[in-house]
Amino acid sequence: MKYISIALLFLGISVTAQNAHVHHDSIKNLEEVTVKNAAKKKIETEMKMAVSVDEYLSSSDNISFIKRGAYAWEPLLNNMSTERSTVTIDGMHIFGACTDKMDPITSYVESNNLAAIDIKSGQEGSLHGATVAGSIDLKRRSTPFSIERKWNGSYQSGFEFNNKQFFNLGNVSYSSNKFVADGSISYRKADNYYDGNDDEVKHSQYKKFNTSLGLAYKTSDLSSIRLDAIFDMAKDVGFPALPMDLSLSRALITSASYKQLFKEGLVRVIDSKVYFNAIEHYMDDTTRPENLVHMDMPGWSTTYGLVSKANIKKNSYSSEIQLNAYDNLSIAEMRMYPQDRSKRSMFAYSWPWVTTRYGGLSMNNYWDISEKSQLSLGGSLGVNYNYSKYVEFNWIFHPGAPQEKTRFLPSLHAGYQLDIDQFNFSVGTGYGHRAPSVSEGYGYYIYNSFDRYDYIGDPNLKNEISYEGNASVGFKNEKLSIQGKVNYFYIQNYIIGRVLSMGSPMNYQSVGVKGYTSLDYATLFNMSMNAAYDILQHLHWKGTLTYARGMDDKAGNLPFIRPLSYQTSLHFMHKNFGIQTSVNGDFAQINYSPEYGEDQTSAYTIWNISANYTFKINKVKTVVQVGAENLLNEYYSTYADWGNIPRMGRNIFTSLKFNF
Amino acid sequence: MKSFNFFVIAIFFVITSCTIDKTDYEAEIDSEVPEYYEFKEAVSLTSGIYKISIEALNGTFYKGYNELHLKVINTQTNQSLNTSEVTFLPVMTNADGSTNSCPHQYNLEYNAANGYYNGYSLFTSESVTTASWKLYVSFTVDNQKYEINKDVSVEKQSNKNLNMTAFAGKDNEQYFIALVSPQKPTVAENKLVAGIYKYNKPTTPAGTFPDPSQFSYSEVTGYTLKLDPRMPEPSMGNHSSPNNQDLTQQSDGLYHGVVNYTMTGNWTLNLIMMNQNGLILKGTVVPTDFTPGVEGVKSELYIDTLF
Repeated sequence: MKYISIALLFLGISVTAQNAHVHHDSIKNLEEVTVKNAAKKKIETEMKMAVSVDEYLSSSDNISFIKRGAYAWEPLLNNMSTERSTVTIDGMHIFGACTDKMDPITSYVESNNLAAIDIKSGQEGSLHGATVAGSIDLKRRSTPFSIERKWNGSYQSGFEFNNKQFFNLGNVSYSSNKFVADGSISYRKADNYYDGNDDEVKHSQYKKFNTSLGLAYKTSDLSSIRLDAIFDMAKDVGFPALPMDLSLSRALITSASYKQLFKEGLVRVIDSKVYFNAIEHYMDDTTRPENLVHMDMPGWSTTYGLVSKANIKKNSYSSEIQLNAYDNLSIAEMRMYPQDRSKRSMFAYSWPWVTTRYGGLSMNNYWDISEKSQLSLGGSLGVNYNYSKYVEFNWIFHPGAPQEKTRFLPSLHAGYQLDIDQFNFSVGTGYGHRAPSVSEGYGYYIYNSFDRYDYIGDPNLKNEISYEGNASVGFKNEKLSIQGKVNYFYIQNYIIGRVLSMGSPMNYQSVGVKGYTSLDYATLFNMSMNAAYDILQHLHWKGTLTYARGMDDKAGNLPFIRPLSYQTSLHFMHKNFGIQTSVNGDFAQINYSPEYGEDQTSAYTIWNISANYTFKINKVKTVVQVGAENLLNEYYSTYADWGNIPRMGRNIFTSLKFNF
Repeated sequence: MKSFNFFVIAIFFVITSCTIDKTDYEAEIDSEVPEYYEFKEAVSLTSGIYKISIEALNGTFYKGYNELHLKVINTQTNQSLNTSEVTFLPVMTNADGSTNSCPHQYNLEYNAANGYYNGYSLFTSESVTTASWKLYVSFTVDNQKYEINKDVSVEKQSNKNLNMTAFAGKDNEQYFIALVSPQKPTVAENKLVAGIYKYNKPTTPAGTFPDPSQFSYSEVTGYTLKLDPRMPEPSMGNHSSPNNQDLTQQSDGLYHGVVNYTMTGNWTLNLIMMNQNGLILKGTVVPTDFTPGVEGVKSELYIDTLF
């Protein structure tokens, strides 16, 4: 019983701390607990039971993707690229090792080692460190301690016909009252996919292997230690939108944490973790004999860090305090080979051994003013330090730039929520700084195949300063729920690449040199509308509409802003049988930006359908699913597809899952 | 436990293997470009009780620019002389018996701080069997003039960053440009130093050999070398770099500027030489277009480098 009460205590805390702004009467709290527990069991979208992390993320309203192929999509939060958001795994900072952002953090995990993905918009996400767009925290699966010894497992396999993707995902967990072990292993292999015209999209294949292990040991009734590791390896990953492919990437992500719960007092939980992760990412073009220049682009990123979090609760006040510290070393090289291979190869660093150190303290506070209203106030203060070992590379474009740079990154945010009967309202505001990323500050001839420019970083860039406002209004009754959200960002010193009058391209495909510079400001507006309606007891409808607009200081369009887009789905479930269908698409991209290399992308509509059936073989719960994406085989590419690479055509997928 | 075992194997794999090593950037440049700091004796000449010791970097005369440190030593007292008038003249004899010299400092200056005579010689070719270099040195002690000479060997300069070029300007004068530094450039802003010399055509008939008036060279003054560095390799498509500075003469008589190398490899310093009045004596403007697959067009006046 003791353990249950502790578990409940902790669940209660995590619910109030994390979701306090959503619901607050006790019944709904319980609902939240169950919902959360359910969510912890599955990373899947409504359409598809076996999804990749990318597919799962794309089912969220404020996430969109830049795609360079079938693999490793770069998530855009609030239509902002990954420099502006913090992407973490259980609060651990990890930085990709590819200068071209071919390895967002989301590419180093697999859906079967994650429990949930926690997305926070804007400065609310500053808990994990300085941000503008918000935070994406990938939560790893961790089985709780149990009184009885328990083994759990699941195995999932499937095949997708379009790109002959075959995947196997396996999970096993063991729990007892002192010891817990979680393990997962997965392998995916896909060939080239075919677009809506049934043409093969060359260089879109991939192979990915991922495994993870978590071990937890209860050191006392109220404390535990936990060791976690993820190993991920991708090989032979094609990027059709790029002139080169990935030959190998490897990530080792490890952490050791200690958690202490307190039965009474102000502080309820302290969870501290030290972590280490190392990423290697080797791009080369040996698969592209048509290239004029043979080139290698290896990259390495190594991070050590500490994250320590305390949850405080007293009466109607609750708070989270988090200390973040990390040290990252990013190295990227490029080596070009002359046509006469006996001649000397040409070498430069695209990241000249750049160290980033960050230390910051963040805090989120919540007060329940009444049963119906809640106030939140939070902020963070961080110190960001950069050091460029081979600063002479940076001096070529920025003579005399400092080798070291220290920046202070403050942030503040406030919000108010109000529930009146079936309505809920919220307003919020935020202010925050972010430091330029390694590429923005110290990048050197980083080729961007979207606008075909070589990018140069500027160590003297000012902090980007964001002022944001957000509001939401919702209505919910037994059958219908509607939620509307808007946010607006005014970002001072907005960092973007602009054509430089000096220098000449280094990469043979490129047309010029762009330098990262600060615009005076840029503005971004995001809007989303969600509705759900239970048509019948077993028939449910959901719809989403999103719109965004981004403008620079001369009222020109910003790139990679999603046009008006929609999704609508019907979901029928009865007993062991379920069927889902959805239609989604984008309207034509009216506000595109030729200045930043965009052309207009036309509208498209995709229809998907799937059916699943659940049954038991002996005691093993089995789910089988068959479905089709892009059923009408539409030929399309989206606003964020590099080089207008067409998306996948009709894709029939099948999957089978066993739960032990 | 099975997955645990697998995991252990996987970890082991990660720790024990590294498919691509990081480039040791500094070592890589070192391997291509020797850098010499130390002056060592390259040749010694004796006349009676006096010994002349000429030091050059690495104890070797190379084709191109050589800074020289010369000492006159009384072998009996083992003391260095500092009041002598020292002259220095390198002469090359070709297979047909004709002779020529190269830019050099004829009257050496005594450097009291370091205790040697300073000079330079810009050897315009390497010693081969059919053409050999001889140094003619004279010095005066106690009003007595000593003249000695000795054959020396001029080696090939394997460091392309110390390349030189010889050419006739539009004014029909014979010019020489030699790179003096950096010996070892890096991907960075590099201070570029070069010497520009011209041959002074003799105005009088030749006297007794070796008549210095027949072998007279001088530093040119007040010229400008306009600089446009580019990578000539076809795959680099005429790539160039920003923030370079043209070379102008400084108080040491040499020409100083800035060259930015954006990556290692072969580079061409495209030059335009202008005299005091801005008149172009040699060199052409090169195309600035980015032309992947096409070898970069060079100026008619250029020096290649490699690091």
